[in-house]
Amino acid sequence: MAHLIELSGIKKSYQLGMTEVVALRGVDLFIDVGEFTVVTGPSGSGKTTLLNIIGCLDRASGGKYVLDGIDVSNKDFDDLADVRNQKIGFIFQNFNLIPVLNVAENIEFPCAVRQNPEEAGALRARVEKLAEAVGLKEYLHHKPDELSGGQRQRVAIARALITTPRLVLADEPTANLDSKTSEQIIDLMLELNRNQGVTFLFSTHDPRVVQHARRALQIRDGQMVDGALAH
Amino acid sequence: MALLKLAVRNLLRNRRRTVITLVALVAGVGAMVAIKGFILGQRRQILENQMRGTLGALQVHKKGYVENVLGSPLTLDFADTPELRAKVAAVKGVKAVSPRIEFGAQVSTPDKKPAPEDGSDLPEADRGATSFLMMTAFDPALEQVVTPQRWEWVQWGRGQMLESGTAEQVLLNDDFAKGVEVPLWKAGTALPPLEQRLAILAPDRDSSLNGVNVVMVGTLASATPNDRRVGVMSLGAAQTLLRMEGRVTEYGLDLVEGAPLEATRDAVAAALGPDFEVHTWEQRIPFVKDIVETQDFVFGIVSSIFLFVVLLGVVNAMLMSVLERVREIGTMLAVGMRRRQIVSLFIGEGIVLGLIGGSIGALLGFAWVSYMNAHGISIPAPGAKVPSLLRPSVDLLFVGRAILQATAGAALASLWPAWRASRLRPVEALAHT
Ligand SMILES: Nc1ncnc2c1ncn2[C@@H]1O[C@H](COP(=O)(O)OP(=O)(O)OP(=O)(O)O)[C@@H](O)[C@H]1O
Ligand SMILES: [Mg+2]
Repeated sequence: MAHLIELSGIKKSYQLGMTEVVALRGVDLFIDVGEFTVVTGPSGSGKTTLLNIIGCLDRASGGKYVLDGIDVSNKDFDDLADVRNQKIGFIFQNFNLIPVLNVAENIEFPCAVRQNPEEAGALRARVEKLAEAVGLKEYLHHKPDELSGGQRQRVAIARALITTPRLVLADEPTANLDSKTSEQIIDLMLELNRNQGVTFLFSTHDPRVVQHARRALQIRDGQMVDGALAH
Repeated sequence: MALLKLAVRNLLRNRRRTVITLVALVAGVGAMVAIKGFILGQRRQILENQMRGTLGALQVHKKGYVENVLGSPLTLDFADTPELRAKVAAVKGVKAVSPRIEFGAQVSTPDKKPAPEDGSDLPEADRGATSFLMMTAFDPALEQVVTPQRWEWVQWGRGQMLESGTAEQVLLNDDFAKGVEVPLWKAGTALPPLEQRLAILAPDRDSSLNGVNVVMVGTLASATPNDRRVGVMSLGAAQTLLRMEGRVTEYGLDLVEGAPLEATRDAVAAALGPDFEVHTWEQRIPFVKDIVETQDFVFGIVSSIFLFVVLLGVVNAMLMSVLERVREIGTMLAVGMRRRQIVSLFIGEGIVLGLIGGSIGALLGFAWVSYMNAHGISIPAPGAKVPSLLRPSVDLLFVGRAILQATAGAALASLWPAWRASRLRPVEALAHT
């Protein structure tokens, strides 16, 4: 069976004036459906860069990337937007909720902006189910600024899941949370992975988070040093 | 639509900025409507004085009359028959016909004292004066429909309007009458003896001078430039004076409300045939048309500048709004919103701003215009001395167009900020702090 994510020889470099900063120096990586993977590595090692490329937010400078059977290397801007919308859920370090929308509206947002959105009642039912799953049933009509950091990240998790994506990417999802809340968020993601088979890939600095991961990858200076191909 | 809801909420987010932008829009559009209303009111005022005060909408003359108008040629006259009047009145759009004679005359005021018994000359100061005037003769019963404004001028002057088409009566300009001390005769009282009446002297068609004694029953307040040496006289009395029984030099015509001016002129001309010429009031007083065109031109420029300045405010507000929301735009792009939707979102915000600001402004402007229309502003028309009521007015079409312009303008003003937002690259936008 094909892998959900197939990266081969992925390179990324930035041009900073006259000098070229190489962020990824040829990364090979397979990830399968249902995995719960953590990427660790020192600051500046290339974690965010890697996740951005996997999330189709950025393009690699070289190499090949196949996501769910689709070669996304040469897709145009709007096609990538569709790929992101249909196949990927995002959880950000600083939550990135839309402040003028309440919890329910934030959760449904990725589905609501689709070209032909589903029927509003059905969507709202799914939103409520997800809100319950992340423990925010009581907060559907609250605005983000009325929620704690942990609650906001739960909203973000629900928003990432509303499209039933093939993959959920989370770049340091717990970096802005206290340790107890971090623990709860990781537990929630593990539970969603276990019970609903959601595939997670996230980056973190936090060694306690790494303990929970089923699979831990290490990146150093733009290269995988451990566990990239091993299962 | 979801984007519209989002647009409205985003506007509510930075209330102060939205309110400032709205105030600019309201003031700009409101002022535009108010100024337009004022201009149209002023135009109406000029019209009332010129078209509804001296000319009438259309004028019928014998062919060649207008070209020779400076000589006020009595030879270019025509027979005023009931058939001819009926023919003109039957043309679609014509409401009323008033026969007139325009002629130049000398007016002599009576001596202020009887001649001395010793046969010596009356001192200069006590002698009457002779002046040259342009006279218009008409039958007040017919003229009132065509140039009702004359009646207003009598109200602002003294006395009353001519009593009938045959009475030997005149009305003179109020300033002129005061200047040469013309006595005012109160209608209904006993007529003064002949030597205490005014004498009107005029050459008839054959250039022989004739005279008639008249009384001044009223005065006309100055309402247009160059109307000091102007008087009106009863048509019947003028016809006798000029030996023109049954003949006139022109018909003044009033049209039914909304009848097209030029088309009706052409229809009247066609009905009368080649012996006659028909002119619109605009043709007779081209300077009013010039005023109208100048006003429209100036208003066009002023309102464009207004709109431009206001819309610069919208550009600024929208740009600030984009810059404040870079990370949010990045998030929207990340979860799959398309560039076109980002553009729509920000243009939507512009449209809502323009629609609300434009509507409030236009309605406030319209309310002011309506209030002033009901009450009137008492100021003289351009070139006039007596105040007349300026009644500002705009039609709802203009109000609607102002709202539309503000909305379309605000949409246009948002185009560049919206485009900039849509060109953001998701990675960089998300990394923005
Ligand atoms: N837009 C950019 N322009 C230039 N260099 C960049 C850019 N983004 C990242 N880099 C460089 O690429 C390298 C990898 O950065 P990246 O953000 O992927 O590291 P990271 O592992 O996520 O670090 P951290 O743990 O601090 O988040 C770094 O050397 C960084 O300076
Ligand atoms: Mg990072």
